[in-house]
Amino acid sequence: MQIIVKNISKDFGKKRSAVHAIKDISLKVEHGEFLGIMGPSGAGKTTLLNMISTNERPDHGQIIVDGQDLTQLHDRDQTKYRRNKMGFIYQSFELLDSLNVKENVILPLALNRSNKKLIEERFDYMMNLLNIKKLSKRNIDELSLGQRQIVAAARALINSPGILFADEPTGSLDSKSATILLNYMQLVNQREKTTILMATHDAFTASYCSRVIFIKDGVVFSEVVNPGNRDKFFEQIINMQRTIGGGSYFNVSQDN
Amino acid sequence: MYRKIIKRSLYNMRDSYLIYILACAFAIGVFGILISLGDNPSVRVSLRSWNSFISDITIMMSGLFAFCAFIYMAYVGGFFIKQQRNEFRTFEKLGMQRWVIVAISFIQTAIVQAFAWIIGLSATLIFQKFMGMALFYLMRLRFNFIMHISWNDIFLLAKMFFFSTLVLSVINAIKTFLILRRKTVKREIKTRWWLRIPAGFFGLLLLFSAQICTVSLFYDMHTISYSSKPITEIFFVMIADIFGTYLVYFGFLPTILNTLQRIHSVSYSGINMFSFKYLKERLFQNISILWFVTELSALALMLLTFCYFGYQAVHRNYNSAYPFELAADKNTAGVIKQELKKSKAHIKGEYQTAVKINLVSYYKKDDQDYIRQPMTFMSYSDYMSLPKRMRKWNGKINSREFLKIDYNGSIFENRHFKEHDIRVKDSPVIATVKTGSSFPYGSSMHFGPMMVVPDKYYQKMPAEVEDVFYGWDFKKGDRLSTKQLEKLDNFRDAYYMKVNFKKTLNQSTIEVLKKAPNNGSSIYTQAGFLRQGSIKKNFAQGGGFYLFIVSLFSIALLIALGSVLTLRILLRDDYQSRQLRTLQKIGVEESEVKRIVRRENTLTFLIPLIFALAQSIVAIAMSNTGRHISKNIILIYAGYVVLYGLFGLVSFKVSWHGIKHKFSL
Repeated sequence: MQIIVKNISKDFGKKRSAVHAIKDISLKVEHGEFLGIMGPSGAGKTTLLNMISTNERPDHGQIIVDGQDLTQLHDRDQTKYRRNKMGFIYQSFELLDSLNVKENVILPLALNRSNKKLIEERFDYMMNLLNIKKLSKRNIDELSLGQRQIVAAARALINSPGILFADEPTGSLDSKSATILLNYMQLVNQREKTTILMATHDAFTASYCSRVIFIKDGVVFSEVVNPGNRDKFFEQIINMQRTIGGGSYFNVSQDN
Repeated sequence: MYRKIIKRSLYNMRDSYLIYILACAFAIGVFGILISLGDNPSVRVSLRSWNSFISDITIMMSGLFAFCAFIYMAYVGGFFIKQQRNEFRTFEKLGMQRWVIVAISFIQTAIVQAFAWIIGLSATLIFQKFMGMALFYLMRLRFNFIMHISWNDIFLLAKMFFFSTLVLSVINAIKTFLILRRKTVKREIKTRWWLRIPAGFFGLLLLFSAQICTVSLFYDMHTISYSSKPITEIFFVMIADIFGTYLVYFGFLPTILNTLQRIHSVSYSGINMFSFKYLKERLFQNISILWFVTELSALALMLLTFCYFGYQAVHRNYNSAYPFELAADKNTAGVIKQELKKSKAHIKGEYQTAVKINLVSYYKKDDQDYIRQPMTFMSYSDYMSLPKRMRKWNGKINSREFLKIDYNGSIFENRHFKEHDIRVKDSPVIATVKTGSSFPYGSSMHFGPMMVVPDKYYQKMPAEVEDVFYGWDFKKGDRLSTKQLEKLDNFRDAYYMKVNFKKTLNQSTIEVLKKAPNNGSSIYTQAGFLRQGSIKKNFAQGGGFYLFIVSLFSIALLIALGSVLTLRILLRDDYQSRQLRTLQKIGVEESEVKRIVRRENTLTFLIPLIFALAQSIVAIAMSNTGRHISKNIILIYAGYVVLYGLFGLVSFKVSWHGIKHKFSL
């Protein structure tokens, strides 16, 4: 799914104490692209992700997905759109403790009142794809953090969303679990052509993307495109992070 | 900083605190009103004869009320501390000293109590006049109620405020200390389906059998004077209801939710998958409270039922004892008429009916014995010409039927069964009679039962004694002075009947005597006159006071129980609130989240309501009002349903508002 963001902005708080979280951002995400959103804490990554995913409304601007302006939709229609076309992975997993793994994963399909056969088929497919079949009957509190995030990914992907939003998906994971998750995300992106938007502040995580945009103080500071070599891309991201942090790569070296 | 923490906690739980404060304020307000009523000068002046009684009762009732209110405040106040346990533990982890956290909870409770007392005492001041006027209205007193609170009451209320706030704050501080000592949070609830399923079905069986037994009690209650069956039934119903309800909450309802959750065609549809599990969790958490509320609600309804029927029975007994303000027989009627002329009483209605006294014999089923006695007879036409109120509580008869009016053993009883084979001296046997207990001209005007017979039977029947009864109704009383009453006292007994029972009824005779015989058995006295005098006033006043107290207590109890349920709904665990937020994040519509909240409210309010109503029917069966449920009792129950419905609605609105606000839905 193609996403076009046109001049969106968002303020939090009231007149005097207002914080400009996003200031007139525009960007375009192509169908099947794996876009990373990076920036320091408070830069506006999550706010941007929330607005594109219709979890928050922008104060100004448009968000056009496959030609449809989502900002013009009623709350109820936005929710339906979100449920049918979007999947979410959060740093805090956002799994429902009351439900077991299977119930958590199939919840989006159950919410859509899909038929039982389709639910079972999709569930088996996702379990095999993400290699977590053996977890299906477990309760959430019996899983490791890495397993929880994979389950959250399975839930996000079960209804074949056009767009997958991931907000710091590796934030709570150890490096091994993070790598497994990112490999799965890349796999889904390539195999299912799912457009992925991922907010992260971790360069290693971002190096799995096809393109990374950098946000600072609510505006797009710059962007880096994956040249096809992940190591090189990783280095570029690190450089850009240093630049955003207040100096260039060379400045840092000279200081040393 | 501590000030900020307290402020923040109070603000975060403002909806729940508001409900708690209002419930407490209501209790404090009622307590203040009850205390101040006892020594109100207008009560003292208007109720001279009741003064010490009213004062004693209000002191006793306010004491009882204060005790119940204190239990409520201590128990429900603990909810808030429990709700803050994670917060308190975090403070401790951040390095805050334990005593500071305990002090925070102490101050928080003290502030909430202070608010409740301020509002409650303001309510006392504002509503004292209104409540006093309501009391006077119910007691039918045309007197101005003066607002008054004595210094004694003010000091007492101030003392109560100080000590209750101190004790409740200490209780909550101790609870906080205990929470901080217990490090682990155990959220896991053991499902134990092997126990819940059989227990649930057994509970359901108990409830069903209790209902069947209640139906049977409607038919058996009248045998209570000679059979142990009704007592056994009542005992069984009580036990089965109490345990059955708990077992249904413990096992049956969770099993239903569990089964629904396992039926994939149901649970894999929409939000059901989550809501069944969520509701089950909430039910597990609240089983004891739901059961407690159900049983207390049932108790409140049963008390109301008994009070209503008790009041009705006393009222009916009074009316059957004094249908006329003044009644007399032919020997006294002349003197009474003279005195009434002197007193310039405004006569509203005057009635007279000729009666015959004859000897009868019959088998009395209740006493299981043959009875021989004189009986007063009245013709059907004369009976029907009397005001309707005389016949209201008797069985309906037509011109060919017989009606026997007798004293009623039980004040609750209102049966209209039939009796058979009553032999009357020198007259045909009466094969079947209907029964009643409301005597025309008042029960005290008769020495025994009375019979209404068809006109032809009456005319043909020879009389041992003939008399005429007179009855008067007045506008603003008979105005007879004390002197006149002293004079009339000489006419209390009109005549005496000495019955000489022989082998057969036809050989037996009645001898009329003007003076009371010194000895001898089978002597019956005919009253000369009957005056209700001040009894009516006292009756109205006593009844009004009784209604005032009962309704005040019932409303307070229902408010307390309703607020407990509301607070249980509002005070969700953090993780439960988080789950609703997660649902919204993954694309569940607002209306669906709202549906979960609505289902939770329905489960919490509707089920205790239904169970309490079902349980309280036994009280109607025990009051045995002729196997039918009166309109007024339906109104009382409807009032309870409306009150609970309102609580349910308010808690749903507040709960939904809280979630919407918290999650910015």
